[in-house]
Amino acid sequence: MPETRPRLGVFVCHCGKNIAGTVDVAKVAEIASRFPGVVYATHHEYMCSDPGQALLKRAIKEHRLTGVVVAACSPTMHEETFRRAAEEAGLNPYLLEIANIREQVSWVHSGPAATEKAVRVVRAIAEKVRGNRPLRPAEVGVTRRALVVGGGIAGIQAALDIANAGFEVILVERSPSIGGHMAQLSETFPTLDCSQCILTPKMVEVARHPRIRILAYSEVEEVSGFVGNYRVRIRKKPTYVDPAKCNLCGECAKVCPVRVPNEFDRGLSLRAAIYIPFPQAVPSTYTLDARNCLGLLPLCCGKCAEVCEAKAIDFDMHEEILEEEVGAIVLATGYELYPKEAMAEYGYGTVPDVIDGLEFERLLSASGPTRGEIRRPSDGKIPKEVVFIQCSGSRDPEHHKPYCSKICCMYTAKHALLYRHAVPDGQAYVFYIDIRAGGKDYEEFVNRAMAEERILYIRGKVAKVFREGEKVVVWGVDTLTGRRVEVRADLVVLAQAMVPSPGTEELARKLRVACGGEGFLKEAHPKLRPLEALTAGVFLAGAAQGPKDIPESVAQASGAAAKVVALLSQPKLAHAPEVAEVAEELCSGCGICAPQCPYGAIAVDEVARVNEVLCEGCGTCVAACPSGALTFRNVEDEQVLRMVRAALAEVEGVGV
Amino acid sequence: MKLAVYWTGSCGGCDVAFLELGPALLDLLPKLEIVFWPALVDAKRADLEKLPKHGIDVALVNGVLRTTENVEMAELLREKSRWLGAFGACAHLGGVPALANPGEGIAEVVFGPGFRPAPPLGEAPEDAPPELLPEALPLEEVVPVDFVVPGCPPPAGLIARFFAVALAEEIQPGQVFAAEKALCEECPRTREERRLARLVRPHEALADPTKCLLDQGMVCLGPVTRGGCAAACPKAGMPCTGCLGPTPKAGDPALAMLSALASLVRAGEEGEPAFPEEDRILEGLVDPLGTLYKYAFAKYGRPLRRLARRRQEVRA
Repeated sequence: MPETRPRLGVFVCHCGKNIAGTVDVAKVAEIASRFPGVVYATHHEYMCSDPGQALLKRAIKEHRLTGVVVAACSPTMHEETFRRAAEEAGLNPYLLEIANIREQVSWVHSGPAATEKAVRVVRAIAEKVRGNRPLRPAEVGVTRRALVVGGGIAGIQAALDIANAGFEVILVERSPSIGGHMAQLSETFPTLDCSQCILTPKMVEVARHPRIRILAYSEVEEVSGFVGNYRVRIRKKPTYVDPAKCNLCGECAKVCPVRVPNEFDRGLSLRAAIYIPFPQAVPSTYTLDARNCLGLLPLCCGKCAEVCEAKAIDFDMHEEILEEEVGAIVLATGYELYPKEAMAEYGYGTVPDVIDGLEFERLLSASGPTRGEIRRPSDGKIPKEVVFIQCSGSRDPEHHKPYCSKICCMYTAKHALLYRHAVPDGQAYVFYIDIRAGGKDYEEFVNRAMAEERILYIRGKVAKVFREGEKVVVWGVDTLTGRRVEVRADLVVLAQAMVPSPGTEELARKLRVACGGEGFLKEAHPKLRPLEALTAGVFLAGAAQGPKDIPESVAQASGAAAKVVALLSQPKLAHAPEVAEVAEELCSGCGICAPQCPYGAIAVDEVARVNEVLCEGCGTCVAACPSGALTFRNVEDEQVLRMVRAALAEVEGVGV
Repeated sequence: MKLAVYWTGSCGGCDVAFLELGPALLDLLPKLEIVFWPALVDAKRADLEKLPKHGIDVALVNGVLRTTENVEMAELLREKSRWLGAFGACAHLGGVPALANPGEGIAEVVFGPGFRPAPPLGEAPEDAPPELLPEALPLEEVVPVDFVVPGCPPPAGLIARFFAVALAEEIQPGQVFAAEKALCEECPRTREERRLARLVRPHEALADPTKCLLDQGMVCLGPVTRGGCAAACPKAGMPCTGCLGPTPKAGDPALAMLSALASLVRAGEEGEPAFPEEDRILEGLVDPLGTLYKYAFAKYGRPLRRLARRRQEVRA
C-alpha cells in the first residue's frame, strides 16, 4: 500500500439541515483534522453545490492533497460529482471516497451518538483512502451492431428504432416468421384496431430495412464476450425453401399429403408440412417443417418439389451456424400462455370447448380458421352462452402463478365485447376477482363492455368446469351476493396466465442474465433501471421481462433501443477500475473462483484471469479464493481490517 | 555447519524424515557438525547450556510446545543459535497435538493423573515432570523464528532445498521452504466445472484416479495450502490435509477453505431463495475443526477459542 506521507483532506457536508440538523458537522471536521494523515478538514453547507466543489478543488491544489474524504450523502448520489471535481483539480478520482453520514447516520440516528458515529464513519473512510491506489478506468472498443432476440412487437420495435438510428441490427426469431403473438390477435384493446393491420406495416418495414438482417427460424446458441464486444453463435435451422426463389404460389402446400395442427391457429386448424404461417409472414416464404415431412429422409415423397415451378425447394439444405459480433443485445423473447392442461379445476384442457384466450383470438380473427365467425371447436356450432374466466392460473399462489398477468382484464372485456358484436343474441359472462383496468381509456373500455354490451360480470372464482352432454358446465360463486352460480355454457374461454416463453431461462443462462422466481427476465433495478439486465450491454423489452400489453411493450422496446443506441454511439467504453484482480504469483489456478462469477469474467488456465471489462466488482470471487490470490482493488483485506479498527476505536471529544 | 535438531512435543516423525533424503544424506553428513540432536546422539541439556552464544549455526525444532520444559529448551536453543527454524507442522503451526487446544483442560484430564509417577508414600516427588502449558503453542509464540521447513513431516525435497540454502548461508529471514502458490499448481489431477454436489470422507468413496478430489466431494485443502510436496497425497488418492500450511495471503486456512466450500456449494445459483438441501451438503463436513484446522489450530484457532470462552462466560 502506498504509504508515503499521505496528505488527506476531509470535507464534511451539512446538506442543509439534512446532516447538520443531527450531526455536529463542525465537531466532526475538527476531530477529523486530527486523524492520522489529515492535513485539512473543513465543513460546508452544500458540498455538491458549485461553491462546495470549488472549495474541494481549491483545497486539493493548495494543500497538495493525496486523498480526499467527502462526508456527505450516499456514494450513489454524488460520488461521481466529487470524483470529477477531484480529477479536474489534478487528483486521481479513485483517491476520493465518500463517507456516508446522511443515509447511514443523520437520517437514522439522533443526539450526540449521531455525531460520534459520523466521526467513526469518517475515520474508517479516511483509513480506506490512505490505502487506496490511483486507478485508471479500462477502455475497450465497441462493435457497432446490435442483436435483437425475438421478433414479436417488442423485438420489431427495438430493431426498427436501433436501425433507424443508423446501426446494424440482427433480428433473431425462433419461428419461421416475425410478428409474434400480436400477429395472432384479432383486434386490440381499447381502440379495437385490427392487430395485423397495425403490425404488418412494421413487419414490412423490418423486411425492407437496409440495416436489419432477419434470421428467422434461428436460435441463439451461445453468447460470449462482454459489453460492446459480444460474440454470438446463432443456429439457423434449414427451411428447405430458398426464400429468394419462393413466389408464394402455394402449390406445394396443396399437394403435401401431411396435415398437422397449425401452431399459428393454436391448433384450431391444420396445415401441411410445407407451409407459410400466415399470408403476411416475414420473411415471406414457405418453410418445410422437417419433423413432419414424409420425404426429407429418405426421399420418398417429394411432391412439393415436383410442383414447385420456381424450383425453390432444396432438400439438401443444411443447418447453419453463424458467428456474429455485436455490441449490445436486446432480449425480447416474449411470453406464452400458461397451459390450460395445468388447470385441474377446468378439465386439464381435455374439454374441447374450453379454450384459452389466444385460441379465442384466432376464432375472432378474420384470417383465422373460422374466418372470424365464432364457432366452437367441438361441433362448429355458434355458442350462445360463453363464459370468460379471468385470472385462470394467475393470482393463485397455492396452485398456479402468484402474480397478476395484467392484460387479461382488458382482453377479456374485448373478447366479450367482440363476441357480442359477432353473436348479438349471445350471452357473455365474465368471472373476475377484481377488474384491473389501469391505462389510458382502459377503464372506460371495460365500462362500455359492461354497460353497452350487457355482459354479465360476476365477481368470484370458478371452482369447476366440466362437460355435460353438449354443454360445458361452470360452477362458480358470486361473492357479491354470496350465492353459488351455475352456468350451462356452450363455450368457456380461459384468460390464462402469461408465462415467459419456453427457453427463456436457458437463453438467460447463456447470457448470464438473471431470471426472477417466475422465470421472467430480471431488470437491473425495478424502478431506475427497468430496461437493462444486470449484465452490461444486455437490455430487456416486452413481456419477457414481465406481463405487459402492446403499448407498454412498444414503449419498453423503444426505451431499450435508446439505451442500445446510446451504448453503440460511444467511441470507447470506459469501465470502472474498481474490480477484482489476481496476484498471478500467488494463484495456483485451482479454479474455485470461476463458477462464482455471475458475469463470466474469470477464465482459468494456468492462473485465473479477470476480464476487467466484464467484472462488475461484486467481490464474490474474492471471498471464495482460498489462497488470497484474488483481491479487490482499493478494498483489500488490509484496508478493510484497518477500516474496522478505525470504526471501532474510541471517539474522544464528542461527549456522548 | 554446526547443526542442532531438537524435538519438543513431537511424534518423532520429523527426526526420521531426514532419512528420506536417501543417498543424498551421505553427501550431506560430512558438511554437518552435529552439536546437539538427542534423537541421534546422546546429549543432555547441560551440554547445550555449555555451548557459547551462537555456538550453533542452525537449530531445527520439531514438535509443539506443550510443557514448560519445551519452552525453556526453545529459549535455550534460541540463545545458542544463529538461525532457529521451525521444522515440521507442529513447530510451525501447532500441528496435530494442538487439536487438543479447544477442549478446555483436555491435557490435564489425559496427562494429569495418569502419567505422573507416584511419589513414594508420604513424600513429595523429587523430580516432578514439567508443568503442562494451558495450551499447545507453535514455536513462534515463544521465540522469534527465522525460517520454517513445513510439512508433516517435511518432504525430502524441501529438506534438501533447505540444506542447500543453509549451507550456502542464504537463508532469508522469514523464509518458508515451500511454494508461494497453492498445491493445485503441482497437482496432476484435472478439474472440471467447479461445483460441489456432496461431501464425502476419503474412506467413503473410491477416488477417480485422474479427477480433482475436491470435484469428487473430498475436502482437499490443496487450494489453500502451500505447494512443495509435489502433491504427494492427492497423487495417492488422498485429499490434502494442509500440512505445509496456508499460502502467504490465505490467512486463517480453515476460514479460507470454509468460505471456498460454501461458495462452491452455491456456485452457479442465482441467489435469493435458500436451498435447504444444498445447505445440507456442508453438513457432510464431519469434524470441521479436525479437517480444516488439522495442523493450524494453535496458530489460527485462537480467536475461535476466545470466542468460545466468551460465549461460556456469557452463558454462565
